Amino acid sequence: MSWQNVKLIFAREVRDQLRDRRTLFMIAVLPMLLYPLLGISSFQVSQFFQEHPTRVLVVGGEELAAHDAPPRLFDADGTNFDPALFANEDKPSLVKLTFVDAADLLPAHGKDDSASAKQLADAARARMREEKFDAVIYFPDGFSHELTAFRAELKSRVANPPEDRPLQDKSADGSSENGSSVDGKSTDSKAATGEEKSPQSDVKKPGIPNPIIYYNTAREASQVARARIEGVFYRWTTKVGEQNLIDSDVPKSAAHPFSLESSDVAEAGRRDAVTWAKILPFVLMIWALTGAFYPAVDLCAGEKERGTLETLLCSPAQRSEIVVGKLLTVMTFSMATAVLNLASMGLTGAILLSSMPQLGNMMQLGMPPVEAIFWLALALPPVSALFGALAVALAAFARSTKEGQYYLMPLILVTMPLMILPMQPSMELTLGTSLIPVTGLMLLLRELVMSNYAVAATFVAPVAGVTLTGCFFAVRWAIDQFNSESVLFRESERLDLGLWLRHLRADRLATPTAAMAIACGLLILLIRFFTTLVITPPETAVGLLVLQAVTLLAFVAAPALMMTVVLTRSPRKTLMLRLPKGQALAACIALAIAFHPLAIVLRDALIWLYPVNSPMLAGMEALFTEVPYVWLVLVFAVLPALCEEVAFRGFILSGLRDMGHPWRAILVSSVLFGVVHLIVQQSINAAILGVLLGYVAIRSGSLLCPIAFHLVHNGLVFALPKLTSDVIAGHRVFDVLLVPTTDGSIIYRTPVVIAAALASMAALTWFRKSTRQTARDAADKFAVAEVVNESPAAVVARREHVPT
Amino acid sequence: MIHVEHLTKTYADLRRGKIVALDGLSFDAWEGQIYGLLGPNGAGKTTALRILSTVLQPTSGLASVNGFDVVRQSSEIRRQIGFVSANTAVYDRMTAWEMVEYFGRLHGIERDELRERMERLFERLQMNEIRDLLGAKMSTGMKQKVSIARALVHDPPVLIFDEATSGLDVLVARALLSIVAQLREQGKCILFSTHIMREAERLCDRVAIMFHGQILAEGTLGELRNEHDEDDLEELFFQLISKHEQAAGIGVRG
Repeated sequence: MSWQNVKLIFAREVRDQLRDRRTLFMIAVLPMLLYPLLGISSFQVSQFFQEHPTRVLVVGGEELAAHDAPPRLFDADGTNFDPALFANEDKPSLVKLTFVDAADLLPAHGKDDSASAKQLADAARARMREEKFDAVIYFPDGFSHELTAFRAELKSRVANPPEDRPLQDKSADGSSENGSSVDGKSTDSKAATGEEKSPQSDVKKPGIPNPIIYYNTAREASQVARARIEGVFYRWTTKVGEQNLIDSDVPKSAAHPFSLESSDVAEAGRRDAVTWAKILPFVLMIWALTGAFYPAVDLCAGEKERGTLETLLCSPAQRSEIVVGKLLTVMTFSMATAVLNLASMGLTGAILLSSMPQLGNMMQLGMPPVEAIFWLALALPPVSALFGALAVALAAFARSTKEGQYYLMPLILVTMPLMILPMQPSMELTLGTSLIPVTGLMLLLRELVMSNYAVAATFVAPVAGVTLTGCFFAVRWAIDQFNSESVLFRESERLDLGLWLRHLRADRLATPTAAMAIACGLLILLIRFFTTLVITPPETAVGLLVLQAVTLLAFVAAPALMMTVVLTRSPRKTLMLRLPKGQALAACIALAIAFHPLAIVLRDALIWLYPVNSPMLAGMEALFTEVPYVWLVLVFAVLPALCEEVAFRGFILSGLRDMGHPWRAILVSSVLFGVVHLIVQQSINAAILGVLLGYVAIRSGSLLCPIAFHLVHNGLVFALPKLTSDVIAGHRVFDVLLVPTTDGSIIYRTPVVIAAALASMAALTWFRKSTRQTARDAADKFAVAEVVNESPAAVVARREHVPT
Repeated sequence: MIHVEHLTKTYADLRRGKIVALDGLSFDAWEGQIYGLLGPNGAGKTTALRILSTVLQPTSGLASVNGFDVVRQSSEIRRQIGFVSANTAVYDRMTAWEMVEYFGRLHGIERDELRERMERLFERLQMNEIRDLLGAKMSTGMKQKVSIARALVHDPPVLIFDEATSGLDVLVARALLSIVAQLREQGKCILFSTHIMREAERLCDRVAIMFHGQILAEGTLGELRNEHDEDDLEELFFQLISKHEQAAGIGVRG
């Protein structure tokens, strides 16, 4: 690869993009306008709500307004609340009161009739709707009178003190009053408690009925009104309570002699960092993806559409140079978009926060820490490389820019969950989460922004490893796309379902195609996914066995067998139905036995990495102990070995070999095999096992080998829990190999595991030796059968890549 | 110079099944010669020329240019040829000068030498007035001139023109044909595909008549006329194709 050419292509593509107004708009103009506009509009909306005056209908409040001893609820004119009752920001001018008589609200009732609660609420709602009131305050008949009477009595009692009066009851009573008037909803219960507490008191229980505020949650303005009025009433009742205490000759502080103080020990910088640590990586990812996608579509699909791709392809530049040049361009724009967005967002935020400090207090948000910028800058290139390569590979497939735009959605659907996952409150950076692409990187960034360097340092290696591996494969995919004639010179074909189905049947080959193989895997996955949703897991052991058997036969083996019969000419070849060499089969079984301790270590490691907290699994394990071993072997070893091998090492692996490289087929088939296991821990375990099974299958050319391996492997896995610590202690062989752990499970002794690793290698070597000739023959036959559809170069490549 | 032997290209098509685009094509072309590929649309001309320009890979058979193999030495081949086709468009957001300079640089020509060469080329092709015009603003004729300049900038020994005159008006087409003739005088080997008989008659030293991926007849114009006893090339072309279709039992196309 000539870097001179890469540089030339990169320079040209960048200039080309900079001359395109749409790209410039997307990456530069949009972010610079977006955040200021968002800031201004949200500022205006909040201003609107702050400035919007609340219209309140006060029912039955005239009496209170007319003769009102301090502390007063209404001002001297009797037109508004007392100015002293407003908090600073809520200016008195923001409340407009309209006074009406109680009879005015419910004209049908006379002054003495007490209306039911429902009637009152209905009437209040009607008034709010008809006359656009934001809230209605209802003072029940006699409220003012009772209040005055109660306070007068308190005063007179101080003047003529009776004997032995329990003072503490008094203060308790007062505080209960305070609480009840604030919370208008549960008036009855509060009044009841007040009644229970006061009997011993010689003061007559205040018969003050509670005022009610009617509001409408469905209207934003009404909720604002409720908050304002509640604030006013809270301050008023507090004052009334305090005044009552003074009048009763009790110190004001008696009601609240102390209060709970809360103190945040987080350093000021870190407190702000928490929010930023979640927001910034997300913004970075989103814009890196968007910024990569649009240029990629223009650079690949756009170039195809304008007919300049062929001009470039017949220039001396190699395909890899073209891809790398384009990829660097896409990366540049991806990074530029992310940087400009973060900068614009930061700048807007800084201006907003400095001009309105109360906003920062409200949202508990300060300026992001300066180090954050450094860490984000460090993470940006690999992120852009990953998204850039994915976008280039996808866009190369599209024939036109329009088609390219359609691919954005699938890309977002795949990557978005990975970006949302780290935003979940329970997500922490662990070895398990660090291995998830994108998610791990976001979690690492979060720790770095929060300056938790010790935590971050522990997981830098896995995150970097996963991210760089992802980048590598994405770049490889992009280069492969540019080397594929069918991708570059894809012609549009009219979709005709009937024709296509007939073609599938009529033009079927001896073995399935890669697309059919992947379709089969996805079909099995879909069926399993929906059946798990629909079928509730049985609670009996028998039910569990039946469900497992039905799942394997009907949802795994049946689709694969059906596809084999319908879509291939040679089911025998597809399913590799031939006898292996006796030695190969023996080596396989030996390998499965030798591998078993390693499999147990692997399983326990996975459970340690991603702890299982599924009660269903725990229940299943308990059921297993009841089931006789014979049945376990039949349903959990024999059936899976047959059904899963027919599907995954049979139909799917045969089809995937169409892609050329056997190892690629093995890897893709194991990923599919893992994914259909649905539970993460099982999936990873199955995927790793799938690699071994796939290798064994391709190398031996016979499905019997992976079946034997699978059977022995599963049989041993289910045999282990059947051993109790008594059995182990009783048999010398078991005692040498195994040791029970404190939590009841049984594991292999460490020397045994090491020995097993060596034995596995020996078994693998034996297997390789015994299959050397078979592998070569099989690869040759495979190549010859496919020669019609391939260039000789591809056949040569396939022959040379027999797994060794 | 150009050697093609039993070249085959097949690809799968859902509607029509397996398509044989080239069916054992063989021919040779030499320096100082214009070799014409004549054939109706879909005869396989473009596929053959794409294989020669290494954009496509052959299914089987051999093709070499100036001794280099198209599959194994594809980057060498791309330095040996200049490829002008209806499918090799001009960048919209580049000026004529930038476009030609870009490809010159990709060919590894030194900056000073490139400028000198381009000045001469722009003079010869009378392109100086469109030097700073963006591709998007150019007429079809101007674009074709830029394509030719782009194909000539590295002074390749072999030039391939694939339906290069399609869409051009008479004046521009004539100018292009005279440029091609000049290039022959310079000793270049030129492969010229067209479905316009007049162009072939005026220009080509040897002609191959292609149909359904095969060569039906090949030779100098004189040889072809003698062999088939027909003076008019268009008539000769039509007869050959009719005969072939009858033999294949397809019937004459309308």
